[in-house]
Amino acid sequence: MVHPYIPNSRETRDQMLREMGLSDVEELFKDIPPELRIKRGLDLPPAMPELAVVNHVKSVLSKNLPFTKMPSFLGGGVWPHYVPAHVRQIVKRAEFLTSYTPYQPETSQGMLQALFEFQSLVAELVGLEVANASMYDWATSLGEAALMSARVTGRSKFILPKIISKDRLSVLENYAAGPSLELVEVDYDRETGQVDLDQLARKVDDNTAGVYIENPSYLGFLETQVDEIAELAHSKGALFVVGVNPISLGLLRAPGDYGADIVIGEGQPLGNPVSFGGPTLGIFACRGEQRLLRQLPGRLIGMTKTVDGKDRGFCMVLQTREQHIRREKATSNICSNEALCAVAAAVYLATLGPRGLRELAEVCAANASYLMKQLSQIEGIKVPLFKSPHFNEFTMQCTRGSISWLNAELLKRGFHGGKPLRREFPELGEAALLCTTELHTKENLDGFVEAVRKVMEG
Amino acid sequence: MGASEYEVREGLFYSKEHEWLKVEKGQVRVGITDYAQDKLGDVVYVELPVVGRKVKQIGEPKNRDMELGAVESVKAVSTVYSPISGTVKEVNSTLQERPEIINTSPYDEGWICVVVPENLDKELKTLMDAKAYSEYLKNLG
Repeated sequence: MVHPYIPNSRETRDQMLREMGLSDVEELFKDIPPELRIKRGLDLPPAMPELAVVNHVKSVLSKNLPFTKMPSFLGGGVWPHYVPAHVRQIVKRAEFLTSYTPYQPETSQGMLQALFEFQSLVAELVGLEVANASMYDWATSLGEAALMSARVTGRSKFILPKIISKDRLSVLENYAAGPSLELVEVDYDRETGQVDLDQLARKVDDNTAGVYIENPSYLGFLETQVDEIAELAHSKGALFVVGVNPISLGLLRAPGDYGADIVIGEGQPLGNPVSFGGPTLGIFACRGEQRLLRQLPGRLIGMTKTVDGKDRGFCMVLQTREQHIRREKATSNICSNEALCAVAAAVYLATLGPRGLRELAEVCAANASYLMKQLSQIEGIKVPLFKSPHFNEFTMQCTRGSISWLNAELLKRGFHGGKPLRREFPELGEAALLCTTELHTKENLDGFVEAVRKVMEG
Repeated sequence: MGASEYEVREGLFYSKEHEWLKVEKGQVRVGITDYAQDKLGDVVYVELPVVGRKVKQIGEPKNRDMELGAVESVKAVSTVYSPISGTVKEVNSTLQERPEIINTSPYDEGWICVVVPENLDKELKTLMDAKAYSEYLKNLG
């Protein structure tokens, strides 16, 4: 009998063996040392019919609790948002879902146009003229921004805030190691969390390639001295690099309007689900100056006209920056992009429009503000740790017991608490980073506050 | 186009990679030759070196320390190697806006940079003069 998933019959197999001059399939494995081979059958349950397998998998999956059953307050770089049904529907179209990298514009106009629109939407959102077709995630965008700053300025020092995701920092350190880029941290004000401007002024010098800040910061508060920081960076000829959660730009000033030369960020919240932390979508945009444009990493899609001038067309442009043309002299190792996630982001942004994005950002921020206010009334809870305006995330300190204890107790009551910060910021004591979005209902927020109160009152 | 139809200017020095060098007071001016611009085709972008960069004279094997930048045409991207060791003193920033002057005026307007040489007399001996470069082009066919 032919195996249902292995379509070679015994005759076909014997024929292949004869062609190879072998008598048994086992002979193909003879190079593997016998001590590495399992000498018994695999310990698997008996085969099941398809329906039984489906039922089994469903029963295993039913242990997973969706957001609606167990609200989560985890953010920290990957944020849960509602993904409209038609966004999912459009990215599921086979033309997008299975399309190959668009090296042949004559067969890829749909994907190229979608990516061009993604770039245009990102550029408009961050207030700059150029955006690439995406990097892998915020962290790779940061690494690339540091290297780009160094190439543009011919300098080797990159300044960043002490308050940054340590995962992101570790990717940046990887990027910096090869070309010997010096990474310099600037401390923060313990009261407000804001970048220490005096220290920054002392550290920015003639060898500074770029000054990086995040707004909102990794710990949720807004960086209020953006104009001063831009001025400090530019006064020494360094580039000003800003990292963002793009949803926040529904409310906040576009970084391009306060002097950013490069804007990066995490595009996942734009229409991409939280799925075990990925896939993610690195945003990367810069000013439209030649000296920057030529050093831009990654794929770039352009709009052009057909030879007869009648039709509009799209194609990859400035490919001489990229690996398939320039090899080791390319501006980046990333010569692909997160195409499907970028298409989702484009559909999402086009759906919401400026007003929708503003309303969304308002709800996210209002939820955080409400939750902070409610939690701050609980004995043993200090929230937020920094006296600054916040967007949709904030820090919470537990003064009576550890965050891991609190989170374990909350889990029993049907809530995922915040992200513990002990490993990343031991100086903040027992603290967690909490996130709210439009997914949190008033009942979710009140229920969470009640659960925290019960745990703390023990 | 035959080799004799390319302009080879008297008084300049030439490298095998088709860079020219003009000795000025205490410094040298560098560019690419008429032959090089013709072979590249329409130049669309010139990557210039950073002022203050130290460069080494081109030799084998080539490495990054010998690079002065790159010239990009609609056909190819070619590295520009330094015909002399020294420090980049000045770059032709006009090329950023009008890279096509490399095609129209490779020996005058289209110069790439000025280098303060470290070892001029010795290194000049390793370069070709106009006559030798014309011969060199002929042999390239």
